[in-house]
Amino acid sequence: MSAKGEVLVEVRDMCKNFGVTVALNHVSMLIKRGEVRGLIGENGSGKSTVTTIIAGIQQASSGDMIYRGKPWKPQTSLEAAREGIGIIVQEMGTIPSITVAENIFLGDYSRFLNGPLINRRKMNAEAAAALEKIGVTDIDPSDITAKYNMEQRKLIEIAKVMAHDPEMFIVDETTTALSEKGREILYHLMHQAAADNKAVVFISHDLEEIMEHSDTLTVLRDGNIIDNIDKKDFEPNMIKQKMIGREITGNYYRVDTDGYGDEVVLKADCITTMQDLLCFNLELHKGEILGIGGLSECGMHTLGRALYGLEDIVDGKVELYGGKVTVTTPESAFKNGMGYVSKNRDTESLVMNAPIGANISSTGYKKNRGWGIFISDKKERRYEQLQVDSLAIKCTNVFQPVRALSGGNKQKVVFGKWLAADSDILILDCPTRGVDIGVKASMYQLIYDMKKKGKSIILISEELPELCGMSDRLLIMKDGEVTGEFFRSDGFDNNQLIDCMI
Amino acid sequence: MEQISQQAIVKDIPRLGLMDRIDIMKNKRGFPLVFPLSMLALLAVIFHILTGGEFLTLNVLKGVFNQSLIVGTMAIAVSFIYTTGNIDFSVGNVMGLAAVFGVMAYQVTENMAIMILVTFLSGMALMMCNCALGVIFHIKSARVAVVAMSVYSAFTVFLVGAEPLKVDYKICKVLEGNFRYIAFILYFAGCILMYHKTAIGRKLRFIGGNAVCAKQTGINENESIVTAFIFAGIGVGLAGVLQILRTGSIAQGVGTGMGMDVMLATVLGGMSIFGGAKSNAYAGFIGAVTVTVLNRGLLMLGVSSTLIQGARAIIFLLLVFMNSERQSTLPSRQQF
Ligand SMILES: Nc1ncnc2c1ncn2[C@@H]1O[C@H](COP(=O)(O)OP(=O)(O)OP(=O)(O)O)[C@@H](O)[C@H]1O
Ligand SMILES: [Mg+2]
Repeated sequence: MSAKGEVLVEVRDMCKNFGVTVALNHVSMLIKRGEVRGLIGENGSGKSTVTTIIAGIQQASSGDMIYRGKPWKPQTSLEAAREGIGIIVQEMGTIPSITVAENIFLGDYSRFLNGPLINRRKMNAEAAAALEKIGVTDIDPSDITAKYNMEQRKLIEIAKVMAHDPEMFIVDETTTALSEKGREILYHLMHQAAADNKAVVFISHDLEEIMEHSDTLTVLRDGNIIDNIDKKDFEPNMIKQKMIGREITGNYYRVDTDGYGDEVVLKADCITTMQDLLCFNLELHKGEILGIGGLSECGMHTLGRALYGLEDIVDGKVELYGGKVTVTTPESAFKNGMGYVSKNRDTESLVMNAPIGANISSTGYKKNRGWGIFISDKKERRYEQLQVDSLAIKCTNVFQPVRALSGGNKQKVVFGKWLAADSDILILDCPTRGVDIGVKASMYQLIYDMKKKGKSIILISEELPELCGMSDRLLIMKDGEVTGEFFRSDGFDNNQLIDCMI
Repeated sequence: MEQISQQAIVKDIPRLGLMDRIDIMKNKRGFPLVFPLSMLALLAVIFHILTGGEFLTLNVLKGVFNQSLIVGTMAIAVSFIYTTGNIDFSVGNVMGLAAVFGVMAYQVTENMAIMILVTFLSGMALMMCNCALGVIFHIKSARVAVVAMSVYSAFTVFLVGAEPLKVDYKICKVLEGNFRYIAFILYFAGCILMYHKTAIGRKLRFIGGNAVCAKQTGINENESIVTAFIFAGIGVGLAGVLQILRTGSIAQGVGTGMGMDVMLATVLGGMSIFGGAKSNAYAGFIGAVTVTVLNRGLLMLGVSSTLIQGARAIIFLLLVFMNSERQSTLPSRQQF
């Protein structure tokens, strides 16, 4: 009955506005069975808006949808899930305070009712089966979800979506939260679904990834559908141009092989943390961009946290400027000119309900003083506006709450906050997560400018191209240890790097 | 291809629904100040009309101000604590006990200055005590407040006894006018300056908004919370002094239930008692005046005071409900 190529979901002339912001401007699209549909566009172009409307999380201002030949107007994501449309959201889609099993069957507990009580054992067993179905075995369904890290929580969310056996599922900018292994799982699920004549909508800012894994690409710009492109016509430059609306010129990554200073500004002296690191040593020099790569579980994220005083250091110490300062808390790190961009943007780096401006100026209370301890409004406004302009944060004004921004624009706020702080030592954990290629290019330029100014940067990332493109020196980690050290001056060899990772 | 990229995109001007308009208004900068003030003004004008021009007179307004002074002062004080997402409703009893200490000091020394000083200091000391319990022992401050409330009120009852403690009423009369106003205005202005013009209030808001993020931005949470309690302590001490001066005597039940009045005032003034990004230092005072205006106005219209009490409770519940940021259990864009 369900033939390949049959239209599964049709979106007709859909508009969505938030106050004066037009997020979708008469969008129409057809999603067919048997295809992975890529959705690409700049930050704030409306990708999440259109997909969350299809999946019932929010409602359109006007326009209608057809699903399996019938009008479709889901009021909640539960309703959509029951009818066969699932979504893996860009933000966190699990509730931390309940168990994994409860998350997986959220809103569906009646299935496990045994009289008035929920049959926990049955629920946990089915949750374990749902996890296993996507190839995850190291998560215990009876655990509280908060116990697991961001990537594991994403996997739980994937299991939850897949447990409903969806006719169509949407993957919104999920891969950046996953390591290589998680990505493989997801790609497999996507292609499997397409082969089974179901449909997948795939959103990503990684051009290579999206070209490889989708059958057709829909380009959105500023709330408008610009074009639909078939796989045979995929061509990176053309896609970029359609996305941005103009040709992008200049280099993506830096091209120089300039060196860096001799002075050691940060030194980890045999640090041991509760998890991951055992007597770890590291030196960061003035004007150096030090890349740190590896698989997600290799301990590099813990390392970043430890250097900034966020982890309990059981033994050893982190010293700055040749031993003049020891970092023990984030407060001491911050006071001594350090900055830290967490990978966990929404829960650690932003106050969602606070205005964009207040988030940015949170690093500048001292700098923006006018007279005595009093903060000058004018200086503060300038401090905020500068970042909004230089990173082209898409917002109505700086008083808009951060929560109203698109994922990539939130990331820009975090980056801007630390850029404005003008820190001497900056630890960046996946700083370009979820930002579009245009903004990525300008972020790389800004990082490079900082280096030029003599700042030192630690760049932790799961993207090898980014690391190779930007680092002066590159450390590859595995199981909490450095397994390889490479220098820009020698050139980086991808295969060698990967060998050190696995 | 050229055509597509060059093509000007025409967008409809969106038709704004009511909710959109409300949203836009709420995000305007001056909204938290302008809105409650306009509601207050509107209320006053309505009463003025209903009472046939008796409400907006100097006498009534002065009475309203005097009546709102104590709760208003405390609400300003507590706003520092509320901002961080902590709730302390023991302030009424702290104020009461501080006033008791002050009056007892007066009875021993017969010195007004010492009385004021003792009241101030005990208010601050008791608030610091609440703070220490919360910060050092990591007890949620709401829980501390429940314990503190009963302990303090037991002490008050024990110290006061059946007969109210009295101070020389003549001296109160002397201090009643200008001293009260000056002390209040100094405190109010000081709080506004420190809260809104220095890093103090910004840090408190940040902690209330997302403590983890605040920590990563180099903010020391304990330090900020201690600062908040210091400001609160000063205000509560001042409220104790005002309480003594108002009647010249302190009875057993002093301050009881005032913690709730303070919350009501805060919420009426447009601030969430759950703190966070939209908090401010003036909402409580505006709210306190609003409550008094409501009371006064309804009384002048001949509504019985029991009915007013009931109405107050309902308004309070309604406001708390509207104030709480509704967290849907479903994954939504708001959730993070
Ligand atoms: N709740 C909201 N309130 C106000 N504006 C919003 C809200 N949600 C989204 N927007 C706006 O709608 C536009 C589209 O946002 P959307 O999240 O769909 O972008 P996106 O294409 O998913 O971007 P990204 O790649 O950054 O995730 C943005 O300009 C955003 O600011
Ligand atoms: Mg998005």
